[in-house]
Amino acid sequence: MQLINRKKSGVRKIKKIAPALAAASCSLLSVASSDVLARGEAGTWDFEVASLFYSEADDRVMAAEPVFSASKTFEDGEVLNLKAVFDTLTGASPNGATPSAAPQTFTKPSGNGTYAIAAGDAPIDDTFQDTRVALSASWLAPINRDWEYNAAFYGSKEYDYLSIGTSGGLKRYLNSKNTALNFGLSFSFDNIEPEGDIAKPLVEMAHLGTSDSFDSTRDGSSDSKTIIDALFGVTQVINRNTIMQFNYSLSLSDGYLTDPFKILSVIDETAGANFGGNLLDGNGNNIYLHEARPDSRMKHSLYWQTKYALSNGDVIDGSYRFMLDDWGINSHTFDFRYRWQLGSSYLEPHLRYYMQSEADFYKRYITETEYLAGNLQEATADYRLGDLDGMTVGLKYGHKLDNDTEFNMRVEYYLQTSAGDEGFGLLKDQDLYPDTRALIFQIGYSF
Amino acid sequence: MDHLTLEFCLTKLNLSSDDNPANHPAPTLSGSSKLWVGSFQAMASDCEILMEGLDETQASRLLSIAVKETWRIEHKFSRYVSGNIIDRINRSAGSMLELDAETASLINFSEQCYQLSDGLFDISSGVLRKVWRFDGSDAVPDDEQIHHVMQKVGWDKVSWQAPFLTLEPEMELDFGGIGKEYAVDRLVLALQSEIEALAKSDPNLKSAFVANFGGDLACSGARLDGTPWVIGVESSEHNQTSVATVSLSHGAVATSGDSRRYLQKNGIRYSHILNPLTGESIIDAPHAISVAAPNCMQAGMLSTFAMLHGAQAEEFLEAQTLEHWVQR
Repeated sequence: MQLINRKKSGVRKIKKIAPALAAASCSLLSVASSDVLARGEAGTWDFEVASLFYSEADDRVMAAEPVFSASKTFEDGEVLNLKAVFDTLTGASPNGATPSAAPQTFTKPSGNGTYAIAAGDAPIDDTFQDTRVALSASWLAPINRDWEYNAAFYGSKEYDYLSIGTSGGLKRYLNSKNTALNFGLSFSFDNIEPEGDIAKPLVEMAHLGTSDSFDSTRDGSSDSKTIIDALFGVTQVINRNTIMQFNYSLSLSDGYLTDPFKILSVIDETAGANFGGNLLDGNGNNIYLHEARPDSRMKHSLYWQTKYALSNGDVIDGSYRFMLDDWGINSHTFDFRYRWQLGSSYLEPHLRYYMQSEADFYKRYITETEYLAGNLQEATADYRLGDLDGMTVGLKYGHKLDNDTEFNMRVEYYLQTSAGDEGFGLLKDQDLYPDTRALIFQIGYSF
Repeated sequence: MDHLTLEFCLTKLNLSSDDNPANHPAPTLSGSSKLWVGSFQAMASDCEILMEGLDETQASRLLSIAVKETWRIEHKFSRYVSGNIIDRINRSAGSMLELDAETASLINFSEQCYQLSDGLFDISSGVLRKVWRFDGSDAVPDDEQIHHVMQKVGWDKVSWQAPFLTLEPEMELDFGGIGKEYAVDRLVLALQSEIEALAKSDPNLKSAFVANFGGDLACSGARLDGTPWVIGVESSEHNQTSVATVSLSHGAVATSGDSRRYLQKNGIRYSHILNPLTGESIIDAPHAISVAAPNCMQAGMLSTFAMLHGAQAEEFLEAQTLEHWVQR
């Protein structure tokens, strides 16, 4: 009979557990009671301020980037995030020309004057200075148990550049929320209006103070591009320690994709004293061409990330990205982080390795033959589209000051090496692929 | 109490309505410098702090600290507050959550209790309430109902790797079994550190206090005259008058019992203490068990574990070699 069955209870083996329980309760009570208001609790705002400093070696680009971010979680799980970023960039960046055994003079992209580069030095344009303000707002909200949506708006403005965009996404949970499918779509519109207007593709750079006409190398005051990105991703909880993510994304850019500040050197192929030197025009000035890129680009990328939590609270985070585009570039990115938990602090070493192949139309320089044939459609000497490897080594330290206040700092060292055609004649003596080294320092505070 | 009056009373204690999300009545402080009695409501209990050796300002400061900390814990861990961490866990439906340090340490503690009790103490057992309603009636659930709800009970089904928690859909966690004891211990720590701070400016300060949250007690030590605190604890059978008294000169005492919460069918009294391994009510448990231990968490767990041992409660308590009281 049911009631009789219920009355029957097996005899338990009695254990002395009071000491173990004493230890467990002491360890519980030793956790600072200030670990109280969890971040992301409903109804509270969480703030984050951070400042990033980026400095390239040899007085090249320097950037300071303060970031302010505020998030609010609402009772029903909606999250609103507002973010503002201010960038100040100063310094010099390579203009694309090759170094030369002779001093070189370049016209500033604005047409307001020239700058000179000593023999053997890397041609860098030091007129590069800009301030950027970027604002964004995003909203994430559950629709029901299984669906979630997000929407975001973005806008940024700098002196000669405007970018605005919007994005939206849907997340579908499956398999008791152990699986999530992500769909995302974004659209952005960029407009550039450089001082001194847009340069015509592959025309000779005008030399100021000669019979060259600067205006005749110009083609309209502004140009624009649109970018559409689509993403499909799967996030899967593998087991109690492991979470894995796969993404595929497609990006289509259309419009003005050229960099109006970049040029290429034309190199003399005629045997003689100037073999491998800059080809000269009728006035005895070096010939440089403004670069030109295709007016569309399609990128595919695949991304895989795994996070693994160890029993001691440490977290291992590894990811890999493969990117392929119709400019002939493909790249691999490996990223590895280990979060080492030390009480209320953590240390996070970071290692990143990036390798990229060059674009089909990348040329370190243009030969006299190619120049005279006059049938070049596209060419760039921008090292960012060349064959390059990048390595980042960094360390982040974070310390929880109390309940929901965290201070963190990050130091990273970046080394980028490029390789390619080493040239001929005089050019062989020049360093066509100088390394880029940068130091990145960031401090942040969230409360 | 209307809103403005409540606001005023809270302000007097240096509290604001933000500290009182559950909208409890305002705490009161009465007595004299001989003995202050601070009273407030929290966690469905009458809470009391008795304080000796303090002036009114100091006593009111201690009371406000006690109230703030208790209401904070109640709001954070109550399963009735929408949007708090417990609610988020219980609505997570299988998605992984990252928990804050305090919640994680309570989960760790609960997991240790689960292991030490061989599964008898289980913070996932709360869903058994869906079939067991302790309203004094004879509505005892049948085997099928119990079997069904037991699919969603069991700490072994929970994925926990601090600070990441994944809870199966329809499972629920509940700190109801430890929340009050945790609040008492936290409050003792908070008051002790405040007394240390007060003693910096007043080296001659000598004070003592005891907190009583509906039968879960903890003290700072003996009374100033060296005698123990004597506290009346509600009896299980006669819930109006206090019959049992507890003497306390150090540490804590916690009481588990089935007063007022039971089902009765065919002469069998089904206690509200449920066995998470079987889903059944513990039948031969004593009416009440009190255990004295260095802190309230430990005392509370031992009295709960003893109840879960049913007929073997006394045998279990003897093995722990701690002072205890059993009412059969």
